Parts: sequence; structure tokens; C-alpha cells
Amino acid sequence: MKDLPQTVFVVDDDDAVRDSLRLLLKSAEITCQPFASAQDFLSAYDAAQPGCLVLDVRMPGMSGLEMQQELNLRGATLPVIFITGHGDIPMAVEAMQLGAFDFLQKPFRDQELLDRVHRALARDMDNRARLRHTDRIRERLATLSPREREVLDLVTQGKANKMVAGDLGVSQRTVEIHRAHVMQKMEAGSLAELVRMMMAVAPRQ
Amino acid sequence: MLGSESIDGSATNGGGAPRARTVIVAGQSSQRTREVLQALRGFTHVIWPTSLEATLEQTGSADVACLVIADDLHEEPLDEFLQVARELRRNLPIFVITDPDDVAEAVSAMRHGATAVIEIPPSYAALRDEVARAMQ
Repeated sequence: MKDLPQTVFVVDDDDAVRDSLRLLLKSAEITCQPFASAQDFLSAYDAAQPGCLVLDVRMPGMSGLEMQQELNLRGATLPVIFITGHGDIPMAVEAMQLGAFDFLQKPFRDQELLDRVHRALARDMDNRARLRHTDRIRERLATLSPREREVLDLVTQGKANKMVAGDLGVSQRTVEIHRAHVMQKMEAGSLAELVRMMMAVAPRQ
Repeated sequence: MLGSESIDGSATNGGGAPRARTVIVAGQSSQRTREVLQALRGFTHVIWPTSLEATLEQTGSADVACLVIADDLHEEPLDEFLQVARELRRNLPIFVITDPDDVAEAVSAMRHGATAVIEIPPSYAALRDEVARAMQ
């Protein structure tokens, strides 16, 4: 599948801010798509589209913080850079607690914003690569039989074949066969790799 | 036993079972650090380790409810210290006290692992609320 180009979505109700950001990003050869409201952006939002958001905190209708909450509910991972002319610490803390990537007060230097945009785009690329990786692992896990899954769970807990055989009430030879199937289906070259795969898809503590 | 100043308040919380929940305060010896210690005195067990090494060692203890960074940390940049503390305890609430209106520092602290940043002045009420929540 061909990768879509990264786009910076600028959401700000101020025409002048949108125009100046569009020009700034264009000068840095970054694709930009401006929106005048949170609602406009959410209507057009496509999770498959990589990039990042530059989002005004205060807007009529839905605020930037409310939009971030809505994106969280939708499971969006798009990094958000908040910009505001009237920022204070409680607002910044709330934005960061909601998962914002960064929070920038106006006026800011062009380079400050570009640096953050580049970092946010890199983060988005990492996030998407990680998600693709864990998706692939989950797809492989889904191909395992219930017994193979049991063997996988026990060997990745560090148990030897003999102990797994005892736990499951089967012969050691049977465990060896299941284990070979697990390694093959999971496309794992070693037990260590298998453990890393399981850690990658384990729920975060 | 690590060298630390300990302010022993009530180790109970509400009407529930007695719990030893410790709040660690980090920060250089200053007026602000003293104020933070004073603000937390009485409703929880507060320790103020005498070095950052001791602070991190204590932070790893399961008994710790939260870490409060009250002031500058002498030689250690705040962001680096936050990262180390966060790696030690992924879910530990870490509160940073900062001067009013220093939004850039607050954002940086949040990016590096702070749970919340509280500006002082006006008051320590917000800190006490956060610490109380962390102990629930």
C-alpha cells in the first residue's frame, strides 16, 4: 500500500493565522490543509491520513481542547500542537494531560513552530510504524490454535518444554511440535524475539 | 537507612484502614521547599531526602504515593530528573511546583513525565488536592 504524504492540519478560526501558517509551512515544503473550525476538521478527519495538527485552543463552537478530547475518543494518534495567544499553566497542563504533543504561546518565532512540526511529524511516523508492527503481530497471533496459544504464553513466561508439558498434561514431544508451529506462525527466529513480540502487544501497565 | 528529613503526620486517610503512604519532596534547601513541606505537614508522611540519589532510591519504594518537585534540583536539570523518575515508576504521580506564568517550563515538565504542574503562588491548595488524590 502506498504511503500517503504527511500533512499538517491547521485548525484556527482566525483567517490571518491560517494564511500565515500555510505560507510558513509551504516555505518549508510541508503540505498544509487549513480548517476554520474544529467541526470542519472532524468532518473531514481520516485516521489513515498521516501528519500532525496545529490547533488553536480558543475557538468559537468547539474549542481546541474539546476537539482533542473528541479525537481521543476516536482513538486518533495524530500529534497535536496547541497554539494560543492567552495561555496559562492550568490550560497548558490540561492540554498535555489530554495527550497534546506540545503547547506553544503566540507570538512564536517561525522556526519554533517548524521545529515542533518536524518533531510531531516524526512522532506520527513512529506511532504508525509501531501500530503496523503490533497489527502484524496480532494478525499472526490470531492464526494460532488455542493449544499453541497456551504453549506460547507458557514459554514466553520462561518455562522449559518439560514444565510446559507438565502444566498442560501433554508429552514433551507434543509441546516441541506445538512450539515449532508457534515459532513458524509467529515468524520468530528465537525465543527472545517471541518475548519481544508479546511485550509489544501487551497492555501497558 | 537513607539520610532524610521526615515530617511524620497522620498515616491514616479518611476513616479507612491505616496506610503508610509516603510523599517525597525534592528540591534544594529554599524558602519554597520549606513552604511545600509545611503545606503537606499533618496529613501525610512526608520525606525530604538529602540527595537526588536518595530521592530516586526512595522513589522506587512501593510505599511512595507521589513525588513533589518543589524547587530547583541544584546540579540536575528538571527534565532529565523527571525522565529518570518516570522510568523508575511509570505510574507514580509526579507534581512539579513552578513560578506563575512559566508556561514553557510547565509544558516541558509535562512532556518529560510530570503528572501536573502547579503554579505557586497563589496557594498550596491545589498541591494538597493533587496529593490527596494521589493517595486515594
